[in-house]
Amino acid sequence: MTLFGIDLDYVACVVLFCVGLYMLVAKSNLIKKLLGLNVMETSVFAFLVTAGMVEDGQEPIMVAGSAPPFTNPIPHAMVLTGIVVAVSVTAVALALIAQIHAHYGTIEVDELKELP
Amino acid sequence: MRAFALALVLVVALTLVVGVAALPPHGDPSGPVHTHVGAHYIEHGVRDTGLRNLVTAVLLNYRGFDTFLEVIVLFTALVAVLALPSATRPRRPGAPADDGGDRADAVPVSPVVFFVVRLLAPFIAVFALASLYRGHVTPGGGFQSAAIAGALMIALGLVFGRERAARLVPYGARAWLQALGPLGFALVAFLGWRLTGVFLGFPADEAAYALREAMVVSLEVGIAVGGAVVLAQLFMALDVRA
Repeated sequence: MTLFGIDLDYVACVVLFCVGLYMLVAKSNLIKKLLGLNVMETSVFAFLVTAGMVEDGQEPIMVAGSAPPFTNPIPHAMVLTGIVVAVSVTAVALALIAQIHAHYGTIEVDELKELP
Repeated sequence: MRAFALALVLVVALTLVVGVAALPPHGDPSGPVHTHVGAHYIEHGVRDTGLRNLVTAVLLNYRGFDTFLEVIVLFTALVAVLALPSATRPRRPGAPADDGGDRADAVPVSPVVFFVVRLLAPFIAVFALASLYRGHVTPGGGFQSAAIAGALMIALGLVFGRERAARLVPYGARAWLQALGPLGFALVAFLGWRLTGVFLGFPADEAAYALREAMVVSLEVGIAVGGAVVLAQLFMALDVRA
């Protein structure tokens, strides 16, 4: 399925990426910024997995009864790596935000900027 | 701020749409993503690595260094989170609560949530074990198993309180279990070095089939157990007091 000649799957990834980017830039709450970052990451993962798909492809597991075409295993492995890194980044960011909240009592960027 | 954000998003969106429009149609088997190294892996993967699940083959064999550093990243995240002063560190069983007791116990849990988690917990545990045990012939493997088991531990911690969920991971073994991913990788990598002369190399000949299987299984179990413990610990450590 296409939209103005562009695959709809790719368009969905771009839209998701832009939603995340807007959240990251426009929101002043640090948790919301982090959510935006996660939405952006998800769009990249979706894009990579989509790129690895093959029409009518099977999962690339060579057992009795599996026949080509197979989907591409590399994007799957790369996205697996990406997800682990995303989880790590999210955890450390949340811990830092909790630390900021414990110190300053706020996680709004515009309020943090006005602190002495 | 809002106007700037909208302008930025518009510029990025236009750039991305122009880029995406030039991509070959999605799902086309003759696209460049499918005709280079991916095709090589699909054709030779089973013979090269002895693994039937090619995602595992790419993960543990072709791109083993990547995965080694990935488990180190996960472990480093746990170290970083625990190093922050606001983190809740695991306590020795029986040690007095530091302040205000167990927060998770103080949060009232709906009876519905309690019932559903208790009902589903054994099935989730079996699912985690199955995706590890059957990971070589079905979609699954160490990371998937770690995610499922970690989520189960987090759910149990929410419902039964941190203190009781923490007993799932024995206190004395926790330090080792947290590091099981990187440790298992390091052990297998040096064993491979000793056997083949290549760091993280796997013996390729037919006679070493059992040894190669054992190395891969050690990696997968290390990733699954270590990953699950790290995920649960990350969540527990983030239970900060305001």
